[in-house]
Amino acid sequence: MITPATLRANAEDQAARFPDLLARAEHLAGAVLLGSHGRRRAGGGDDFWQYRPAQAGDSRRRIDHRRSARGDQEFVREHEWQIAQSVMLWIDQGASMRFSSDPNLPQKADRARLLGLAVAILLQRGGERVGLTGTALPPRSGRPQLLRLAELLSQDSADDYAPPEHRAMIPHARAVFISDFMGDLDGITLALTKAADRGVRGVLCHLLDPSEEAFPFSGRTIFESVGGTLRHETLKANDLKSRYLERLAERKSELQRLCAVTGWHYGLHHTNTSAQSALLWLYSALDTRVGAAA
Amino acid sequence: MTILGGIGFSAPWLLLGLIALPILWLILRAVPPAPIRQRFPGVALLLGLTDDESVSDRTPWWLLLLRMFAVAAIIIGLAGPVLNPHDQQADGSGRLLIVLDGSWAGATRWQQQSQVIDAQLTRAARANRTVGFLTLTRPEEPAFQSANVWRTRLAGLQPAPWQPSDADVIRAIEITKALDGFDTLWFSDGLEYPSRNDMLDALQNQGSVDVYQTGANVLAMVPASYKDGAITLTVKRAVAGPTSEVTLNAQGRDPAGNARILATVPAQFDDGATQATAALSLPAELRARITRFDIAGQRSAGATTLVDDGLRRREVALIAGRENREGLELLSPLHYIERALAPTADIIDGSLAEVLPANPDVIVLADIATLSEAEQAPLQQWIEAGGMLVRFAGPRIAASDISRDTEDPLMPVRLRAGGRSVGGAMSWGEPKSLDSFRETSPFFGLDIPDDVVVSAQVVAQPDPTLADRVIASLSDGTPLVTRKALGQGQVVLFHVTATAEWSTLPLSGVFVQMMERLAISSSAASVEAQDLQGTTWTPLRIMDGFGQLEDAGNLPGVDGADLASAAAGPDLRPGIYASGDRRIARNVVTDDTALTPTTWPADVPVHGLYVAPEMPLAGWLLSLSLLLLLADVVASLALSGRLLKRSNIAAILLVPLMQIPAPADAQSADDFALNATAEMTLAYVITGSPSIDTLSEAGLRGLSDTLFFRTSVEPANPIGVNLETDELAFFPMLYWPITPDQPRPSGDAYAKLNAYLRSGGLILFDTRDADISGYGGASANGRKLQDLAAPLDIPPLEPLPSDHVLTRTFYLLQDFPGRYTGRDIWVEASPPDAEQVEGMPFRNLNDGVTPVVIGGNDWAAAWAVSSNGAPMVPVGRGFGGERQRELAYRFGVNLVMHVLTGNYKSDQVHVPALLDRLGQ
Repeated sequence: MITPATLRANAEDQAARFPDLLARAEHLAGAVLLGSHGRRRAGGGDDFWQYRPAQAGDSRRRIDHRRSARGDQEFVREHEWQIAQSVMLWIDQGASMRFSSDPNLPQKADRARLLGLAVAILLQRGGERVGLTGTALPPRSGRPQLLRLAELLSQDSADDYAPPEHRAMIPHARAVFISDFMGDLDGITLALTKAADRGVRGVLCHLLDPSEEAFPFSGRTIFESVGGTLRHETLKANDLKSRYLERLAERKSELQRLCAVTGWHYGLHHTNTSAQSALLWLYSALDTRVGAAA
Repeated sequence: MTILGGIGFSAPWLLLGLIALPILWLILRAVPPAPIRQRFPGVALLLGLTDDESVSDRTPWWLLLLRMFAVAAIIIGLAGPVLNPHDQQADGSGRLLIVLDGSWAGATRWQQQSQVIDAQLTRAARANRTVGFLTLTRPEEPAFQSANVWRTRLAGLQPAPWQPSDADVIRAIEITKALDGFDTLWFSDGLEYPSRNDMLDALQNQGSVDVYQTGANVLAMVPASYKDGAITLTVKRAVAGPTSEVTLNAQGRDPAGNARILATVPAQFDDGATQATAALSLPAELRARITRFDIAGQRSAGATTLVDDGLRRREVALIAGRENREGLELLSPLHYIERALAPTADIIDGSLAEVLPANPDVIVLADIATLSEAEQAPLQQWIEAGGMLVRFAGPRIAASDISRDTEDPLMPVRLRAGGRSVGGAMSWGEPKSLDSFRETSPFFGLDIPDDVVVSAQVVAQPDPTLADRVIASLSDGTPLVTRKALGQGQVVLFHVTATAEWSTLPLSGVFVQMMERLAISSSAASVEAQDLQGTTWTPLRIMDGFGQLEDAGNLPGVDGADLASAAAGPDLRPGIYASGDRRIARNVVTDDTALTPTTWPADVPVHGLYVAPEMPLAGWLLSLSLLLLLADVVASLALSGRLLKRSNIAAILLVPLMQIPAPADAQSADDFALNATAEMTLAYVITGSPSIDTLSEAGLRGLSDTLFFRTSVEPANPIGVNLETDELAFFPMLYWPITPDQPRPSGDAYAKLNAYLRSGGLILFDTRDADISGYGGASANGRKLQDLAAPLDIPPLEPLPSDHVLTRTFYLLQDFPGRYTGRDIWVEASPPDAEQVEGMPFRNLNDGVTPVVIGGNDWAAAWAVSSNGAPMVPVGRGFGGERQRELAYRFGVNLVMHVLTGNYKSDQVHVPALLDRLGQ
């Protein structure tokens, strides 16, 4: 089992391979101060946003005289609204994630935690506040938060399929959900719609083991869930393959549809592919949404 | 036993089990294979998916078929199938007599015949018949016994190297008539012999007769003859068939002494002929080595002919005294003897010095009286090594003083001066004729023609030994031919000339026969009865029915006439016979032996010698079922997707995996040797007491460090030595602390220790008791030391004298303290004649290193340092203690120097002498 310390070390290791990701984050910093994203709207901040004609009700002190002196009209100088973003993670801790079809492959839970923490590290370096959904760990900035994250991420849940935590969502924050989404679809729908109601946008990372995509079984087989709560017996497993794959595709399209409705990003990742590519996708998905979600 | 389609079953009812197979098929088909438990998170998606009934998983038909075959193989295998079963009903009942010809003619196919007999005995055993054996070549009253008893004795039946004789068959008929009521199986060899039909009649009177006879032809070989430079080989066959060819082998020894085929020659039987001839021309050397001829592919005494002296041409060197004499051919001293020997011997000419290296069989000296020193010695040597010297008298010998007063080694008798002349013109009396040969003479039995007369001769001195040496004499008793043995060879003297001057002997035929009898020449033609008349021949090696030679043992001798003419039989076995120096081979088949094939009356069933052995198939079928079940295991695993799972692969691979024992011992021994020899290493004996061993190790480490710092000796870390297992030769010295409870080494270990001491090793015995008891006698350690050292090869000891080389090999020392300052240490005693050297403070002592040093000062404790270099054991008090430790180290350094350099320092005694020689 992965201890908090090794989980964090692994995550740091993953994150350390992304200096260029940070470099691209700095490209963004042309508009955004380090530690806070510009909201692309006028508000409290230090950076210049725009001059606008003074309107009735504007305080006289806000008139920018250097601009106004060039003409007859009076202008007010506006600054961009700058605040730090809150990102909430939900990493599926259910028993179904503790599965790998091959000893050489990592368990899905390991990969999910690694990805989640690596994203958290990157966000933390970017000055964002990172936390977990729910009330266990509200988003905070700073490196100690990573330790707390790692601590909480390495706690297993006894449930076979854990529904996404949707309580105590901070409005207009961002969220990252990483799970195999094998459980009941209602919980996911509820969480996503609730998030959408609160203006929370985010990324849905669908993490699957390769055997879950390939279904390489034949003969008489009894399938059991990892927690042991569900079982299904078949006499001819290879006969089930097409129908299983059908259902899996159905689930994927349902998730994609939900994401499209709620404005989330949907991504599919397999444990036999590189974690870095998933991380890159996750981070870029978060980044691009920053601009679009204003 | 029930027979179904040529295969018998011992338990045929078990075959009913095959009916159950279709039922098994249905059952197996209905039962699905066992499920696999598979963890799979995606099971949530599977819920509610039902199996399509029409495709429910069933065992595939080919797997079912495989299992059916396996089960069927088990059922049939247990039913006891037997291939080529023998028909039990035809086994018959009552007593059974097995009649064997048992002659050489059946030897080639004896193995086959034994198998048929064995098969018949098996049948008889099954039918509970008692069986008797009657061998016609050795007829004896048959003992009727259980067939199984006979089966165990079957290997003892051997063919005889002769044919059943008339007397044998008549005796067999008598025996047969005395019995009553039996069936007969007659194993015939295929050759006709007298009274066979009578025998058949006698057997048919008792019951049914079945004949077993090989269809192959009987081949035989006539003794080889040598004629006109070629060996003529004749082969006979019993049935005159179509043209065929046989290969004849000449067997003998190659120059290295190994038996091998020296030459082969084909012989062709013409169509309808029963005889074939082949000529073999070989160099004399090769021919002389041939011991036998045989027919390739035949293994019988009849197909083998042994070779005697007949083929072997003896080499005879003829040397005459009067060489280059121009004269008449007939007066040549060698003329008659040459003519007598030329047909049967190879004659060598030349001087004695030239002839001797050729190592001839015989050297004939015609009237040569004296030989030079250079000739006499090698000639005598050659005779003693088995040569035969034949001397003829003549005027020179008569005139010389040879063998006059003392017997010459190369003369059989002493000679009187001058010889004698009888019956000449100037003498009284008639020429003397020959006396008949006495029984002890090699010439015994030869006819003496009347016209052989002797008119002159040399006369032997009467001696006590004379009578034994005469082998032919004149009618008045004077010796004519004398002989004496010399070493392994012999010297023969004809008291007459080899020419017709002194006697008519060389002119007569008896001269040639005498040459033959003396084995000077060898008879070219086959031996004639009259030639052998009156001689007795002892068998040397005899031939068995297969044609193999074996030692004759103590068989009685055979009369010469019988040897030549009588038929082979129990009293005259074929083989090599010897009389004196002559060898005669007696073979089974002679020129006039006729091979007649047997003809059986039409009412006698004749079978071939072929038996199809019963072959139980149960084992094969059960093995097959096992293989099929194994295949079923693999196939089932493959079907249920478990074959390539990791754990199963491991299990499958585990089965053939054999544990290969690593040669750990050899490896560790090598490592030990490498460690011990890479650098100079001090060693201690492991006592088994951990504290002592640790202290020894630390002590030697301290001493090694001291040596490293102070001297050019740079030892590696010390090594503990197990006396039982480790090699000691790598170590210049061993430190052996004595503890009262250490185990006594084994005998092997003591042998190793003694070898170590003798090859220059040194053992430092340390009783660690400060030698409190004096002479090491009374303390426990002292007694243990005496016990341990008793089997060691230790020279006399003495307390270390003050001028011993140990006192000055590196440091000048007089005390040798360790942790204790004991009085004496003991070393090898100096020789009693050691003397004080002039001008030197020491004696000229022995030159060797003392093999043992014995003391009780616990040196290791004084030397011991811990791994950081600090002393481990306190020694003495204060500065005095440290001084004592320093002296202990110095003793150690001296000791190692003594071991490594020997008595180098003792050589200083020679310094004055060396300086003196240098003129200083």
